Amino acid sequence: MKKKSFLVVSGPNMNLLGTRKTSIYGAGTLEDIHRSLHERAGELGVDVECVQFNGEGAIIDCLQEAPGRFDGVIINAGALAHYSYALRSAIGAMLLPCVEVFISNVHAREEFRHTSVIAPVCVGVIAGFGKKSYLLALDALANLGAA
Amino acid sequence: MKHYAVVHGPNLNMLGKREVGIYGGRTMESINADVEAEARRLGVTVEFYQSNAEGELVTFIQNCRGRTDGILLNAGAYTHYSVALRDGIGAAAVPTVEVHISNVYKREAFRHVSMIAPVCIGQICGFGPYSYILGLRALIEERLDPWLA
Repeated sequence: MKKKSFLVVSGPNMNLLGTRKTSIYGAGTLEDIHRSLHERAGELGVDVECVQFNGEGAIIDCLQEAPGRFDGVIINAGALAHYSYALRSAIGAMLLPCVEVFISNVHAREEFRHTSVIAPVCVGVIAGFGKKSYLLALDALANLGAA
Repeated sequence: MKHYAVVHGPNLNMLGKREVGIYGGRTMESINADVEAEARRLGVTVEFYQSNAEGELVTFIQNCRGRTDGILLNAGAYTHYSVALRDGIGAAAVPTVEVHISNVYKREAFRHVSMIAPVCIGQICGFGPYSYILGLRALIEERLDPWLA
């Protein structure tokens, strides 16, 4: 059977992880997350490709190219999660399982972060576990269809 | 050895018997068996509790204080309106992870709000019974957790 392959997309400001608001987002960098995802992927016997964009349009372009190349997507849309209907449409159009992740517990923060416009088109949501949110999402995608 | 409480709220005793289109065909007992197996694999112990009564859930969670290292909680419908449960979690001061079998954000608007999420570490929803497995890993896999203080 062909090895499963997953795309991990991080949105605006995630390139600054480890340098801003470390009390909320932790001291690790996005590169640390990507390294851990590759390690975890090895343990799970799957492939991952990790990308980051600040631009909404760039994320949409990337998602539109995902079908046929990947078996599922992990997305940390950052602030876009709360208002980007264009992103929601792009996720819906992929017809690939998508898992939404957040590093922080968005429900413990400002009210505008309590709503995600992309959650309804995702398989599920994992929020609040730091870097672990991404790793658990990879477990979740690798396990889809198995249970 | 670390010890965790897995708490199921109202109607979860009916899993596998009601609305299987939303919640799947697995029973609570078989999900508990999966969680037990994962706990063994990770070298921790778990206990299980289910109640349909809000007050009993509050009392159970209060009693987790100082006795358990974490709580995995599927509060069912109480998630969306029980301020008492929220206060109970806050009072227990035990790390709590909120889980849901279904993706609550795909469902009715009243399920999009969680009263308990702000006092939990985080939330996992939408992965069927596997939400519980992920929730347990979230609580205990400290080797994956160099970030969180």
